[in-house]
Amino acid sequence: MIDLSAKKVLVIDLAKKESDVNSFVDLNKYLGGVGLGLKLLEIYADKEPVVFAIGPLNGFFPFASKTAVVLNDEGSIEDLYIGGSLSLRMRFAGIDAIVICKKAEEKTVVEILNTKTTFHGEAMDLRSLGLPGKRSVIGHENNKTLLDNYFTTPENHLEKAFVQKNLKGLVITGTEVYSPENFEEYQRLYKTILARTSDLRVERGVYPSCSNCPMGCGKSRVGEIGGNVLIDSLVACQFADKIYTDIGIVFSCLNVLGYNHTHEDVENLPKLIEDTIRKLSL
Amino acid sequence: MSKTLKATQVDKCNGCELCSLEAQRQLKKVGLEESLIRIFRKKGKDPQTLVNSVEIDPRLNMLNIDKICEICPTSVLEIVDEVENQAK
Repeated sequence: MIDLSAKKVLVIDLAKKESDVNSFVDLNKYLGGVGLGLKLLEIYADKEPVVFAIGPLNGFFPFASKTAVVLNDEGSIEDLYIGGSLSLRMRFAGIDAIVICKKAEEKTVVEILNTKTTFHGEAMDLRSLGLPGKRSVIGHENNKTLLDNYFTTPENHLEKAFVQKNLKGLVITGTEVYSPENFEEYQRLYKTILARTSDLRVERGVYPSCSNCPMGCGKSRVGEIGGNVLIDSLVACQFADKIYTDIGIVFSCLNVLGYNHTHEDVENLPKLIEDTIRKLSL
Repeated sequence: MSKTLKATQVDKCNGCELCSLEAQRQLKKVGLEESLIRIFRKKGKDPQTLVNSVEIDPRLNMLNIDKICEICPTSVLEIVDEVENQAK
């Protein structure tokens, strides 16, 4: 069963081919996504980290379908957002963030099954790893880093990071489940949000969709770059901002899942993020 | 005659997984483990494309298949007579 009481962080050291799972109760106030990602970038600053971070609603509610990628590209702190299935796989792996540290000696493929990490050589076929139907595959080839052979991030920061780290691919499978205590209310909220497609700033399309989003829009492929702090910490789609900047909706979602966040947490978030960026810039 | 759910227009599947998640919610859980309907993604023929396929466990019939059918945004799923499905 997924544990929502603390931020669970999978830390992978590519140089040592080791991984560790750490639980941080004190990081709950960073909510997730860019907030959590930046703080982890600070905590692991001496290990050249690349952070993948989801928010508290990912996997649980429609349109909360992105994953934040936070990294330091030659002194410039970047936050990018990738769509597809990754945020659901991380949620169902029981992981709030993956921190990829250092550089592998040779080209490496990393396989994650919930919190268990296995390291493979570059000859390993990414598609042979993980559990089909429950996995995300991030591969780097021909100078492009693609999730499930389709979804990507803006600019080429993630591509640079994969090359620098000698990372050929990352496959993540999640097999955990969660049952909100008040399941009826959870269902009701889920359906209410899913019905609000007219509040989205995208049109329905015929393209591959992010998980937990029906739209199949033409915007999902290229991902997003930083914008609204709350949206980016919840790691919701920026085109669902009408829904996920509504504090009433956000707290209804958080409460029904059993999170203990307060309004002060949300109010203090911009300052926390600002302070973290200041420390990272020193 | 009993009804069953069939993926009749799988080429329209956009991989949103709403059907899998709906089936799981009917079993009072959030997650994909032991889901009775699964979406598989694989590389398409053209570069940077993907193709989805749908696998339905016959035990899905014990759930409310109308709701699962309705949630699909691209009408991939159809409710058919069980006998008709077996014949195909």
